[in-house]
Amino acid sequence: MPVTVLIVDVRSERSAALEQALLSAGFEVALRVDEHEDLHALVEQHQPDAVIIDADLPSRDTLEHLGQLGRRYPKPMIMLASEDAPDLVRQAAGAGVSAYVVDHVMPAMVRTMVEVAITSFEAHRALKGELHRTQTTLIQRRSVDRAKALVMEARGLGEDAAYQYLRKTAMNRRLALHELADELLKATRRADSGRSGGGRP
Amino acid sequence: MLSDAPLNDHQLTLGLMPLNDAAPFVVAEQLGFFRDEGLAVTLKWQPSWAALRDDLQTGVLQGAQMLALMPLTSTLGLDGRATPIISAMTLNLGGNAITLSRSLMATLAEEEHVLDSPLAIACALGEHVRRRRQRGEAPLRLASVHPFSSHRYLLRYWLAAGGIDPDSQIDMRAVAPPLMAAQLASGILDGFCVGEPWNSLASVQGMGQVVAGSHDIWRFGQEKVLGVREDWAEQHPVAHQALIRSLLKACAWLDRPDNRQQAAAWLHDEGLPEVPMSVIARGLADVDVEQSVENFQQSNAGWTIFHRYAANFPWRSHTRWYVSQMQRWGHLHGISEHDLAETLTRCVRPDLYRIAARGLGMVVPASDERSEGNHPAPWWLSGEAGQIPMPEDGFIDGAVFE
Repeated sequence: MPVTVLIVDVRSERSAALEQALLSAGFEVALRVDEHEDLHALVEQHQPDAVIIDADLPSRDTLEHLGQLGRRYPKPMIMLASEDAPDLVRQAAGAGVSAYVVDHVMPAMVRTMVEVAITSFEAHRALKGELHRTQTTLIQRRSVDRAKALVMEARGLGEDAAYQYLRKTAMNRRLALHELADELLKATRRADSGRSGGGRP
Repeated sequence: MLSDAPLNDHQLTLGLMPLNDAAPFVVAEQLGFFRDEGLAVTLKWQPSWAALRDDLQTGVLQGAQMLALMPLTSTLGLDGRATPIISAMTLNLGGNAITLSRSLMATLAEEEHVLDSPLAIACALGEHVRRRRQRGEAPLRLASVHPFSSHRYLLRYWLAAGGIDPDSQIDMRAVAPPLMAAQLASGILDGFCVGEPWNSLASVQGMGQVVAGSHDIWRFGQEKVLGVREDWAEQHPVAHQALIRSLLKACAWLDRPDNRQQAAAWLHDEGLPEVPMSVIARGLADVDVEQSVENFQQSNAGWTIFHRYAANFPWRSHTRWYVSQMQRWGHLHGISEHDLAETLTRCVRPDLYRIAARGLGMVVPASDERSEGNHPAPWWLSGEAGQIPMPEDGFIDGAVFE
């Protein structure tokens, strides 16, 4: 499947050259658009694999929003910075999600530019997913530990027995262990705040 | 450490957006408030909130006019690259409005709805949205600005007050402020929530009708803040204090009678050349002693308060309200309450505000939090050394926030 690229640029000469370079590098160019078109609808309709945009265009906010909407997005964004800003380019490239390149893109560089952007974007997304999973596992483990401590105290059980009790109850109620733990903790919190009265009428 | 050594042309680049509430920066520059504090400030106008955020995160800017939620979402890593940003000052209360296209308003009138208040219009729109659905028509297209913006949550709050579920019943988009009016004119949008002067522009050009303002939805709620990178503030505490003081003076100047016209002229010259001066001035108008707040708000939906009513104090509860709205709409998935509370304390810095405001002899609130929606009439807030006059507060749906 060819990789499709959307170019958002108001400088038609530059974007025409860019389109030529992308086509000869084997990419499919979905569209060249300027500010006055319905970017939101166009992105939803064409679902490009990458977007190249003039960093100075206000449309960036629209693309960022599309980037948060669902699984089909976000897409890697390549920014064309209009001035020679090597610091910005270097630092922003580390951000992973958006790559900045300076204005004058050599046709020979275009293929690498788009491929690097897509690859680093995918890597960044994979890393983020991994981080999210690890965080979730940690949070779940923490609540199971706390629920276990509760059961040990409330029922005078040892650690293993408390864990077995939780497992059995979870299985009987067809809940995941951490779901049961959350429920127990929530119920305890409610009971506690009920007892202390919270100081509010 | 805060030292008393005076600053000598401390270089600073600040970012701002083409909006009326960029006024404090322009005023501080024009009246020499930055220079008086030993700061050599360069103002950098930005094309989009995304660009402003990137410039702050990559160190091109040391500080910026920011959307109220940006310090928090940047620190949490939700917006761009995870970069700790703090805010020790609110720049203004209110300043946004919701505008619907003329043709949509004409349709609502034809459907014979009651359209006599912001809430009534929201309810009428709700009815209209249901009719469209029954007829199998495409959902209305409404825009707010950058994803983590006050506008997004004000618009959603207003829609929900009218019985509309924005996620299933509306095509919701983000569009940068300068593009809003043009997209309404070309029919790409049916309405939007944006800051001034863009509502006044759509209205003057006859393309849209302003139907609700910030204060109609969340009365005297927080709008823009001063955001600076946390590492910069830690390395340059004296410059940070000087920056807050300069902007505090500018905000106080803006709320003095008769100064808004001059501010409008400067804004036009510096950052908004494409918008007629009269349109900027119209959106920047302030209530005067002869008028009632209620009447003024009705005809000036984008009414902006820069200083009075303890406007510059960075209430932790203001950020918490936005957080509650993000949670309401499922935009904070996967972040624990604990992390949120900790980040909020880190990002919103009333302690630093107090130092600056005391230095200028201003009365500062004694508490970091306040409740809203339970003051139906003007009231007095306890300050550290005296009382601060406060206006009535409240939400369009009658909610109370504690």
